[in-house]
Amino acid sequence: MDRKAKKPLSPFQESMRRFRRDTRAMISVGALIFLVLLAIAGPPIYKHIGGTYLSDFGAPIGPAIYHSYDHQELSNQNEGPSARYWLGTDNLGRDLLARLMQGVLISIIVALVVEIVDVVLGVIIGVLAGYHGGWTDTLLARFTDLIFAFPGLLFAILLTGIFGQSASDYLGSLPVVGPFLANGNGPLVIVSLALALVSWPLMARYVRGQTLQLKQQQFIEAARSAGTSDVRIILHHIIPNIFSIVFITSTLDIAGTIIGESGLSLLGLGVRPPGSSLGLMIADGADLLEIHPWNTLLPTIVLTVIVLSISFIGDGLRDAFDPHTKD
Amino acid sequence: MIQFLIKRLIGLLFIVLGVTFITFMLGYFAPSDPIKEMMGAHFDYQTWQQLRHAYGFDLPWYHQYFNFLMRLARFDLGTSFHPQQRAVWDIIKDGVPISVELAFWGTVVTLLLGVPVGIWSALKANTWVDTFNMTVALTLYALPVFILAVFVQIMILWVNNAGISWPVIGWGTPWQYSWSDIQYKLAPILTYGAAGYAYYARLTRTTMLEVLRQDYIRTARAKGLRERAVIYRHALRNAVIPLITVIGLLLGLLVTGSFFIETLFGIPGVARITVDSVFQRNYPVIQATTILIAIGVVLGNLIADVLYHLVDPRIKTE
Repeated sequence: MDRKAKKPLSPFQESMRRFRRDTRAMISVGALIFLVLLAIAGPPIYKHIGGTYLSDFGAPIGPAIYHSYDHQELSNQNEGPSARYWLGTDNLGRDLLARLMQGVLISIIVALVVEIVDVVLGVIIGVLAGYHGGWTDTLLARFTDLIFAFPGLLFAILLTGIFGQSASDYLGSLPVVGPFLANGNGPLVIVSLALALVSWPLMARYVRGQTLQLKQQQFIEAARSAGTSDVRIILHHIIPNIFSIVFITSTLDIAGTIIGESGLSLLGLGVRPPGSSLGLMIADGADLLEIHPWNTLLPTIVLTVIVLSISFIGDGLRDAFDPHTKD
Repeated sequence: MIQFLIKRLIGLLFIVLGVTFITFMLGYFAPSDPIKEMMGAHFDYQTWQQLRHAYGFDLPWYHQYFNFLMRLARFDLGTSFHPQQRAVWDIIKDGVPISVELAFWGTVVTLLLGVPVGIWSALKANTWVDTFNMTVALTLYALPVFILAVFVQIMILWVNNAGISWPVIGWGTPWQYSWSDIQYKLAPILTYGAAGYAYYARLTRTTMLEVLRQDYIRTARAKGLRERAVIYRHALRNAVIPLITVIGLLLGLLVTGSFFIETLFGIPGVARITVDSVFQRNYPVIQATTILIAIGVVLGNLIADVLYHLVDPRIKTE
C-alpha cells in the first residue's frame, strides 16, 4: 500500500520536535503551565471552597473573604496548614496560598508586559539598525553601551524608589485598572517600565545581528532586484526569519524579569502591601525565619521552581534551535 | 596602545556624562521638594522663594545641570537632606571600604574556585564529576542571589540551633580577619561569589574543552610533554582569554548582587546606603552613589579591555 508522502517539516517545526524530546525541558514546561493555571484559575476556585467562620470583628465570613490575598485575621497569625487555611497564614493572618497565587499572577503579568514592550521595541529598532545602518545603528550602539554601563538593577531601583509612591497615587484614578493598581500594585507600572527599558537594547542587538546576516543572503538580493520595496522586504522576509532568535531571547529574558520584579519587591520598591508578590512575601517572612520558616520558604520554593523551569526551557530551546546539533 | 586608551577614555567621559545626566534628571523630576521638607512646620512663601533662589532651584534645568557638573568636577558631592546638611561624602565614606572588601573577596571566590573547577570538569568531561559540577553550577547560576541568601541564612540558623553559635547578619571590622570577623564574612562572601563562580566554572569548562581539541595540543602530547605541562603551559593560557572578556559581566553581577547581599545580611556598604537613601528620598546621596557605582563599572570594563589586549597578542588595538 502506498504511504502518502509526508510534507517536509519547516525548520521551526523540526526544532520544536527536537525540543519536545528534551525531558528536563518538557517537565519544566509542565511545571510552568501548572503554576500559570494555578495563578489564573486558582483564586476564583479557592474563594468558593470552605465553610463560614467567625471573623475577628464578630461577623461570620465566607471563603470569598478569608481566602483572598489581602484579608488579615490577626488572631490567626503564623498558623500552619489547616482546613481553613490550606498552607497556613503569615504574620498578619493572611492566607499564604492566596498570597502565593497572587504573587505568581503578578510575576506573570509583569513578565508579559515587559516582554511585549521588549520585543516590539527591540525588533523595530534592531531591524532598522541592521537594515538601514547609518545613524540608527550608531545611536543603538551608543545607547546599548550606556545601558550596559549603568547597571540595570540600579536604574530600576532609582526609578521605582523615586516615582513608585506617586505612581500608586496617580494611577489609582485610572478607569479600568485603577482599583487593581491602587491596592499596592501601582509601583508595578514603574517596575515594568524600568525592566523593559533595560532589556530592549540587548534584544535589539541580537535582532540587528541577525538582520545583518540575513541582508547578505541571496533571497534578499533577489527580492530587491525584483523591485520589492524595503518595507515589504522587512515585513515579509526579514521579520519571519528573526522569529527564532526573538523567541529564545525573550524566553531567557522572562527569567530575568521575574527575578528583577521579585528582587525589587523584596527591597520594598515594587509591590507594596496589601498587594502580594513573591519577593514581598520573602521579605515579610525574613524576620521570622527562625520560628516560622515556612512564611519565607514557600515563596522561595515557588520562585526557585519558576526560575529553574525557565532556565531549563531556555537551555532546551537553545539546543533545539542550534544549527550545530542539526543532523 | 596609547591611542586606544585615549579613545576609550573619551568614551568613558561620554558615558559618565550620560550617567550624570540621567541621575540629575531623576533628581530634578523627583516628586518631593527638599526646601519644603526642610522648612517643615515653619513654611512661609517668602522664605521659600528666597531659599529656592539661594540653592539655585529656580534656575532652568540646564543651568542646574551645569552647576551640578561643576560641583562634581570639584569632587563636591553636596550635602544631604536627611540628616540635614551632612556632607554626602561623610555618609558614603564608611561604606566604600566595606563594599570594596565584599567585591574583592567575591571576585576571589569566583575566580579561584570557578576557574579550577571548570578546568577539572573539562579534564573529566562527561564523567559523574563533570555532570555533578555542572548541575551545581547551573543551579547556582539560575537562582537569584537573594534566594541563595535566604537558603544560606536558614542553614546558619540550623547550625545555631545545633549548638554552634554563628552570626546570621552583620559585618565585622572592615579588612580585619579575626575569627569573629571571619564568622561574619564567610557566608555573605560565599553567597555573593556563587553566581560568578557558576558562570566562570561553566565558561572555563567550555573554553578548555574547545582548546583541548586543537591540533597544537595534539602536537604537545605527541612531543611527549607531561600532561601537566600540556595543560598549564599550552591549554590554559589560551583558555583564559575569553574569561577576561567577560569580566564586564562579572562586574554587572557584582553590582546587582551587592544590593541584595548587603540588604539581607545587614552589611553597611554603599549599596545598602543607596537603598536606604531611596527610601528616605535623600536625593543627593542617591545621585552620588549612583555616579560612583557607574564610574566603577565603566572603569572596570576599561581595565578588562586593556587586559584583554595585553594578554592576546593577536588582537590589534585600532
